[in-house]
Amino acid sequence: MVLSKLRELAGGSKDESSGDPFVDALRNALSADRVKYDGAHRSLHSHDASVFDGGNSGPVVYPETTAEVQAVVCLANEHQRNVVPRGAGTGLAGGAIPLGVPVVVAVTKMNAILEVDEANSIAWVEPGVINLDLTRHLAPLGYHFAPDPSSQQVCTVGGNVANNSGGPHCLAYGVTNAHVMAMEIVLPSGDAVMLGGLDAEPQGFDLRGVFVGSEGTLGIVTKIAVRITKNRPAVRTLLMAFDDVRDAANTVSDVIADGIVPAAMEVMDKAITAAVENYVGAGYPTDAAAVLLAEVDGLDSGVDIDADRIAEIGRANNATDVRLAGSDEERMLLWKGRKTAFGAVAQIAPDYYLHDTVVPRSALADVLDQIYAISDKYELLIMNVFHAGDGNLHPLIVFDGRDEGVLDRVHAAGGEIITASLDAGGVLSGEHGIGVEKQKYMDRMFTDDDLDHQNRLRQAFDPGCRTNPGKVIPSGHSCADIQSLRSVPKEVWG
Amino acid sequence: MTLDGSEAAVDLKIDADDLNKCVQCGLCLPHCPTFRVTGDETMSPRGRIKLMREVQDNDAPISSDVIDAFSTCVQCRGCEPACPSGVPYGHMMESARETLADAGEMTPTWQRLAMKPLASPALLNAGTRALSVAQKLKVVPERLGLSHEIPLTQPKLEATGSDVYLFTGCVMDTMQRSVHDAGLQVLTKMGFGVMPTGDAAPCCGALQAHAGLAGETRSLAGRMMQNLEPDVPIIVDSAGCGAAMKDYGHLLGTDEAVAFSERVFDMQEFLALHVDKLPEAEPLDLRVAVQDPCHLRHVQRVHEATRTVLRPFVRELVELDDEGLCCGAGGAYSIFEPELAGQIRDRKVASIDRATPDVVASANPGCSMHLGSVGVPTKHPIELIFEAIS
Repeated sequence: MVLSKLRELAGGSKDESSGDPFVDALRNALSADRVKYDGAHRSLHSHDASVFDGGNSGPVVYPETTAEVQAVVCLANEHQRNVVPRGAGTGLAGGAIPLGVPVVVAVTKMNAILEVDEANSIAWVEPGVINLDLTRHLAPLGYHFAPDPSSQQVCTVGGNVANNSGGPHCLAYGVTNAHVMAMEIVLPSGDAVMLGGLDAEPQGFDLRGVFVGSEGTLGIVTKIAVRITKNRPAVRTLLMAFDDVRDAANTVSDVIADGIVPAAMEVMDKAITAAVENYVGAGYPTDAAAVLLAEVDGLDSGVDIDADRIAEIGRANNATDVRLAGSDEERMLLWKGRKTAFGAVAQIAPDYYLHDTVVPRSALADVLDQIYAISDKYELLIMNVFHAGDGNLHPLIVFDGRDEGVLDRVHAAGGEIITASLDAGGVLSGEHGIGVEKQKYMDRMFTDDDLDHQNRLRQAFDPGCRTNPGKVIPSGHSCADIQSLRSVPKEVWG
Repeated sequence: MTLDGSEAAVDLKIDADDLNKCVQCGLCLPHCPTFRVTGDETMSPRGRIKLMREVQDNDAPISSDVIDAFSTCVQCRGCEPACPSGVPYGHMMESARETLADAGEMTPTWQRLAMKPLASPALLNAGTRALSVAQKLKVVPERLGLSHEIPLTQPKLEATGSDVYLFTGCVMDTMQRSVHDAGLQVLTKMGFGVMPTGDAAPCCGALQAHAGLAGETRSLAGRMMQNLEPDVPIIVDSAGCGAAMKDYGHLLGTDEAVAFSERVFDMQEFLALHVDKLPEAEPLDLRVAVQDPCHLRHVQRVHEATRTVLRPFVRELVELDDEGLCCGAGGAYSIFEPELAGQIRDRKVASIDRATPDVVASANPGCSMHLGSVGVPTKHPIELIFEAIS
């Protein structure tokens, strides 16, 4: 306070004109302290958690209400500027990287849990609410928010909506789309509309379903009605060790084929298990080639039967060790390890590129073999940690970006992983989204007609192509000129 | 180098490998009190580390916004246990601040002057007396956040033997000597002869190190190591001081300092090691919430000991539901950044309200004064134990 007063006296007041009429107009519409235009803010908001080159952030704004989001969008239209929404900035596909010097709309201050309707199992939240904060808020009532991405302690519900995020426990409960009932969104025109509804069967086109997973290209979500899930009375968590990753993968296939739908089934290979164990000390076996974490929930009598059967299937697939978590603390520690796996790799190398493809469960073992072969070919360490139950692979390439030429090898290896997954009948992304990462592979999944139609849908929402431009839809089919968005002269340092 | 300037790059003197450890995953964000209350990436550990990189590696200017980002950090180090990559954030921030303070970019003169008396018992006593008189005349600025009535005179702490040192320090000794007294008596009842350090170790230098004045801390550390008898355990009842003294090994980088740091114990940590010597007593009829000072929980990581030693002496011990998020005191932070410190405290107070305790047990003078100034009843754990066994 004293410092800022001294600075004001010294003529360093931040209230004076920025020299950019757009920024001045934003400051009038919000407040000066919630519109940032300095190098530090713009530099930090030019990146997310991905490995891709940053973009160029224009002003960064922190709205607190739907009306303020509308004002920002209307001013952007008036000044012909682009708009990029941002949650916690934990995306791994570059979805929040600002292209075309847009105004970055950080929704972190819109973080209120507005209402919890226990009778109808619905909670209304603002987009900046942190996923795990919502679950913690619901805990005393015996409920939780089911989508649980590994980044759930920091990622926002708004970001979950944008990316249709999944998580370990989405195997039984479904991904974000299954848990969003209605949304208030600010359209690229600046109008606020409600999509979806609280009725079990809303009438008309499912525009809510169109919006979930649209990666910020169709507008900005400002209020969300999410389904809340009752906690099950009993949970059993099994930890199985295998001498061969193939055995772990086959166990997963066999469990599902047996008719059991566990709450979660996660596999980690030897290298990632060692890094995780070093951080959490949860008792993960570090000598096994792979560990499988399987969780079942439900009624007391049922979970023991399911857990026994899963253990039996594991042993039939050569499990060398089968352990049941003895307490809630042990269970939480095992999950903490699994959920911090990506960050833990910095113990091994300072950079990582986390991939995200989905393959049919029956192809898991074969695709994993190919990934290890790709690892050898490019002389890169690739670790595997994956949502095995739904075939969602997360190969993790670890490297030191300071090594000359390593990024080229990393990207080439990544391309081959994607090819191997698609060839096995898989898809491009399980939950991270397309962002800037996988645009160039979109034509492997879709025909030209498909892509043109996707772009038409996008333009129905955003005819000016100004909301998160340059994402998802590849060049040639996109309404935005991606080259020119990238080639904006660098005004931001760093 | 100017505030908004374009002059040459600055080497913040942060270890390059440490700086490279951060993979920018963002898992630290919710554990950072300033990010929690602002939602602003420049006020998050990930953001601050990125700015350190921009300055040190990419020649970014030291703008006022970079200075703001660094000076608003409470240095609670709540981000460190949350970091799966083991980024030593606290040491990086201390290096950055030291470089910037040396260059005259941080820690303005009034802050430096405010910390001068800490290392001088005579000055501090005179200052505290003046403050006590000012408090009686009701002319103490609110930003100092004084909750307790400052006594004009203090009881003298008498040595009861020579088995252990009780570190008495600076501000705490003038404002909360009753806590030292409780510790001294409990330790004595447990059979340890206690020597209060008094003027032999006037100040640990924690506040100076946080403000980028690590040179002063090194000299205080050197003086303390010289003045105290070797091999005698040093017990500290202020979490911030204990954390700083356990860091002398890193700060000075000598074998002697490493050995010194190894004989520093937090009060509850020491009691928990000798829990069998604690006398039995009827529990106090109180519902007590444990507020973990950050430098006990995130830096020393011995906060479980508070529960071990306190549980038998109170009716009910309850946890707060905010995962040890900082209260905003941060040593002198609540005085230097009162607005943010107040917003951070609001979150803590809300969490305390949800726990509905009779009293909050806090093992750090800064936290208890900061919380006390808005009416939260606080006691040091050792005061509660002393009360129970008396």
